[in-house]
Amino acid sequence: MARNPIRDEIAIVGLGSTGFYRDSGGRSAKALACDASIRAIRDAGFEPGDIDGIVGAAEPGGPNPNEMSAALGLPQVTHFSSPMPVAVFALVDAMNAIFSGSCSTVLLYFAYTRLPWNSRSAAEDPFRRHHTLGVMPAPESVNAAAAYAAWASRYIHEYDARREDFGRVALNARAGAARNPLAVMKTPLSMEGYLQARMIREPLCLLDMDIPVDGADAFVLTRTECAREKTRNPVVVHAATTGLVGTNDEDQLPSLRRHGQHVVVESLRAKSDLWLEDMDIFFPYDGFSIITLGWIENFGWCPPGGAGRFLEEHWDPEAGCVMIDGRIPLNPHGGSLSEGATRGSGHIREAVMQLRGDAGERQVAGARNALIGCGGFFFNSQGAILRRL
Amino acid sequence: MSEDVDDAALIERFPYVRIDHDSKHFYRGWLDERLLFNRCDACERFHHPPKPVCPSCWCASLTPTEVSGRGVIHLAMFLHQGPPAPGVDYAMAAHPVVAVELEEQEGLRFTSTVIGCPREAIRIGLPVELGWVERFGAPFPVFRPVEGS
Repeated sequence: MARNPIRDEIAIVGLGSTGFYRDSGGRSAKALACDASIRAIRDAGFEPGDIDGIVGAAEPGGPNPNEMSAALGLPQVTHFSSPMPVAVFALVDAMNAIFSGSCSTVLLYFAYTRLPWNSRSAAEDPFRRHHTLGVMPAPESVNAAAAYAAWASRYIHEYDARREDFGRVALNARAGAARNPLAVMKTPLSMEGYLQARMIREPLCLLDMDIPVDGADAFVLTRTECAREKTRNPVVVHAATTGLVGTNDEDQLPSLRRHGQHVVVESLRAKSDLWLEDMDIFFPYDGFSIITLGWIENFGWCPPGGAGRFLEEHWDPEAGCVMIDGRIPLNPHGGSLSEGATRGSGHIREAVMQLRGDAGERQVAGARNALIGCGGFFFNSQGAILRRL
Repeated sequence: MSEDVDDAALIERFPYVRIDHDSKHFYRGWLDERLLFNRCDACERFHHPPKPVCPSCWCASLTPTEVSGRGVIHLAMFLHQGPPAPGVDYAMAAHPVVAVELEEQEGLRFTSTVIGCPREAIRIGLPVELGWVERFGAPFPVFRPVEGS
């Protein structure tokens, strides 16, 4: 067992979300972040003066923590930071700040805004056109997002994978989104529809990629001991980790069997009393469908290369989605593919909602434990286990 | 020769690349149509993209060393849309982008496109070699199939 003194010591006591939109109608990222933050602080039953830490993921176009503190009129904070995306970097920073005594209660926010280079309608907004990429890269690059299509080609080559294996990830997400009032993509999706979607970075098509949205999520975190004054059964972070291998330049990655996800899984397993058999819900990140296949395999639900078959075998035709062993759903909120590209905050929010018993028609009866694999293969692999005490 | 091109001029020759002090030798090599990878003077291992020290042994003495450019396609995707570039027309044909594992060292890869080859032939495992085309008036490294492969 690895050292994990923070185990169960930090509780998530407030949630707020704007929901996700293709176009938020002229609201700025800061407006969305304020909306979600106020909801989260009220949900926690706190006042502005109770918040002494503020952590905001450094999303492109999103507000800095100092701007947010000014907008919300927080009297003073003793910890503020803006970790890079995706979501668990900020979660871990907030947890550590509380556990170490840098502050006691953190507002954690994630604001997403469609950028002019990934949304045609965003490009028509003169304010959004101020955002620039800097140097325009050459097409001949497998940096960042393009790397997932490149490694998907390797996955298909090594495991003889079929397009349907990727398609089931998209179908599962869409089925979840249909049951989630916060989600953007609710139109029913069939395998035929998936197979007909246009290619973007072949072998990945439009529906293998998360959908750019406007919207925000916010959370309030505090010590479990304080949370217990308000509820006997707070939702706590049992374990959380981030993971990186040395050779993480996208095209130099050692292989599909050795990258950041493997470090995360080894670390999380060593820190946790709970593992796959204890889980009620599984959140494999889906910024690209290939990432989800990776998490399923690398957590050990099935052997390498077996995720497509695994999804087929655990498919619930009646619900139109995956139910592992007939009971464990995957990304029941619709994930980044269909709820919206939240870069992980949606997965964490849904985990908390499920563990509170607040997930409406998506509710997994009696859910106690949730497993989150967040981020991709290269420089943002991370994981967390949340539980209800 | 590229030694005569100062840093400011180098940036102007490659307006689509974010060049810095770690990568300037690599891009100067392009001007001479040479693919130069950092090689460690101590342990003799190559690495890419260019880093300030050898990731294998931390030696800071690195020599940009020409590689053959021969290798095998390791990753292969086809862009149906993407950043604009001269000679790239996504509407005409999906643009191939490949990461090639070079023969010099296991795991040492370089990413570019493939020319002179039908789309169907571009697949993981195909042996390729380096060629040079012109882009924005400067040499640009690409791959083409090894003859007879």
